[in-house]
Amino acid sequence: MAKEDFTQLYQQWQQQLAERLAKAPERKSRFATSSDIEVAPLYLPKEIDDAYMEKVGLPGEYPYTRGVQPNMYRGRLWTMRQYAGFGSAEETNRRFRYLLEQGQTGLSVAFDLPTQIGYDSDDPMAAGEVGKVGVAIDSLEDMEILLEGIPLDRVSTSMTINAPAAVLLAMYIAVGEKQGVPSEKLSGTIQNDILKEYIARGTYIFPPKPSMRLITDIFAYCAEHVPKWNTISISGYHIREAGSTAVQEVAFTLADGIAYVEAALQAGLDIDRFAPQLSFFFNGHNNFFEEIAKFRAARRMWARLMRERYGAKNPKSWQFRVHTQTGGSTLTAQQPDNNIVRVTIQALAAVLGGTQSLHTNSRDEALALPTEESARIALRTQQIIAYESGVTDTVDPLAGSYYVEYLTDQIEYKALAYLEKIEKMGGAVAAVEAGYMQREIHKQAYETQRRIESGEELVVGMNCFKLENEPQPELLRVDPTLGRKQKERLDALRARRDRERVEQTLNRLKQGAEGSENLMPLILDCVRSYATIGEICGVLRQVFGEYRPV
Amino acid sequence: MNQKIRVLVAKPGLDGHDRGALVVAQALRDEGMEVVYTGLRQTPAQIVNAAIQEDVDCIGLSCLSGAHNELFPEVVRLLREHGADDILVVGGGVIPQEDIPFLKSQGISEIFTPGTPTAVTADFIRNNVKRKRMSLVQPPKKIAHIGIAVSRIESALPFYTEQLGLPLLGTEVVESEQVRIAFLGIGESRLELLEPLGPDSPIARFLEKRGEGIHHIALDVDDIEERLTRLKENGVPLIHETPKTGAHGAQITFLHPKAAGGVLFELCQYPAAKGEHQSE
Repeated sequence: MAKEDFTQLYQQWQQQLAERLAKAPERKSRFATSSDIEVAPLYLPKEIDDAYMEKVGLPGEYPYTRGVQPNMYRGRLWTMRQYAGFGSAEETNRRFRYLLEQGQTGLSVAFDLPTQIGYDSDDPMAAGEVGKVGVAIDSLEDMEILLEGIPLDRVSTSMTINAPAAVLLAMYIAVGEKQGVPSEKLSGTIQNDILKEYIARGTYIFPPKPSMRLITDIFAYCAEHVPKWNTISISGYHIREAGSTAVQEVAFTLADGIAYVEAALQAGLDIDRFAPQLSFFFNGHNNFFEEIAKFRAARRMWARLMRERYGAKNPKSWQFRVHTQTGGSTLTAQQPDNNIVRVTIQALAAVLGGTQSLHTNSRDEALALPTEESARIALRTQQIIAYESGVTDTVDPLAGSYYVEYLTDQIEYKALAYLEKIEKMGGAVAAVEAGYMQREIHKQAYETQRRIESGEELVVGMNCFKLENEPQPELLRVDPTLGRKQKERLDALRARRDRERVEQTLNRLKQGAEGSENLMPLILDCVRSYATIGEICGVLRQVFGEYRPV
Repeated sequence: MNQKIRVLVAKPGLDGHDRGALVVAQALRDEGMEVVYTGLRQTPAQIVNAAIQEDVDCIGLSCLSGAHNELFPEVVRLLREHGADDILVVGGGVIPQEDIPFLKSQGISEIFTPGTPTAVTADFIRNNVKRKRMSLVQPPKKIAHIGIAVSRIESALPFYTEQLGLPLLGTEVVESEQVRIAFLGIGESRLELLEPLGPDSPIARFLEKRGEGIHHIALDVDDIEERLTRLKENGVPLIHETPKTGAHGAQITFLHPKAAGGVLFELCQYPAAKGEHQSE
């Protein structure tokens, strides 16, 4: 690379950094090690060549291998966002306030399965599941209770909701209205990634085509009305949990991402209008360096795809912004305290990989939902990495490691081969419908199980270094009477609300679904009239039908 | 005859985590079982219907959502209601230790928590399904005879006929076993005195090793082939894997003495009895 070219790019990076510092200073006026060696924001190779600039480059600059911000965690740490929710809206509200008091910086809502699949708590399909893996939300009333006392203009909220994402987003917007916060000021994320539900997570409702329409409706609506919202969190997390490799996680996630971009383009949206609101969700697994390389490779691949293939002009469209959760399936039920150490390694990898937000799992999640104490240790783990380890003092400290750069290249190379294959099958939607990704993941999951059972792969405390007579840890119990209480609340709401208005808005939604207009405003009206999630999804089920897996 | 164990792997409730269910299903297939997987989101009623329709020996339930205490017992309850509670029910998933006694009290035979090797699950199913299957075969009807090894029938016989007064029912030579047999009646059973015809006879070897004395106990059974198959599947050591023809045209077979603490058992099925007590 010509010296002047690099100088120009370097100046561009300095410029960006200066702009950023003008807005908000770095966390410290000076960063230094324990020996008082001063730490600079960025370290570069002695000789900058074309290969370096093309593959690695500068942070905050295309192709973002070193991170999406010019000074990364020196400016602001990642968002510490613990996924939480169980039982009733009241209980979860209490846990949220507790986590915020403990220094958490964003909320992440776990919904129970009936909510995630669009059933009311009194639906026969919901039997036994109400409030179990997350909070039960039937109507706007529950959402009001859930978010009570939480300032929606200041806290960003991530909602793990997919098939009925439009309904929950509408409820969030409606609570904002009641708090006097306009939708333009709301920030957060809905997962809204239906393809990985078919692939790995299982909370689908509708068939792919109408599901993709709901997603692009959300893209279009939010571009105009909720600009600070991440309209989708394209998720490799569950693909990895279901058993995939790191390469498959990258490849299948990006393949899904491409499918959403294509769908939005087909719906007539402009790439730079919706792409800056796309975000991603990765797993933090055990193989430390491979995990770090995975994040770096994915950023580079996404940037290239968006700029070169889709011609996006806005740098924000090129940026692969990612939330990470440590790998739940790596946790053992045996000697659960060991999981704290696993989580630490995984979280550290995510941080060295440059994640934007992070959930650290609790030690007891192979046994039950986390207790308050376990959830606190998990949060403390992030805080120790953030405030004590020093890894946040300089950008992408592992860049230039022969090994890490090699792994980054290899992951990209192998993931590209998968992308090509999926492309040939007609893209991610067609591949999902043919069961391709599902089969690949299952093969890998079985192989892993075989390796663990044969002892080729060691899991400490499980297939080696075992303990006789393990003590039983304290576990969280969800109130077993919750299902009944939730049903009572729902009955009371049904009796109280304006039935005519509910029916009107639901009928209007049905009409809209049969046609092609954007459904977000119609769903918002249903929500405002206190129509329940089961009623709203019921109307959509009637029109769209339900997905039956291959 | 060698029927494969049939297993229904099922996901009750709304939980979408099926990695474990799929891995276990695959592992059980590799262990030689026939496995049907229901897919996600099955109600207990759907699972029980599928189990009956597919005529399975075992249902494996997987749940990671915490709804196991509601959903697993409901499956067992419905099986009972349909008179299908001979189907073995096992479960797995994210299930706290303290819930396991409750689930077992509700009729779930075993719970496999995370980290269980698939072979443990397979062995449990094999052993417990077998026990249920074996119970479908009638127990042996009576002692057919007690075989006693003797060097010479003529020398041994007077004790039985003269001192005990048992009737001599006849003698027979079984060439295949190189043995001559004297039958003595006692109630509905017999004593059989066994004399070797040559040095290669099993009785000759027995006499050489242990001297004269009780050689074996023979049990009168039905369904000898079916019984042999199940014994074989259950890992009971056998001397013959298929029945052969013995005295009086009976189908006979010997279990290895290792199977019964040094006692040699013979199973015999007499021609007239075949098919009389078909239990399936």
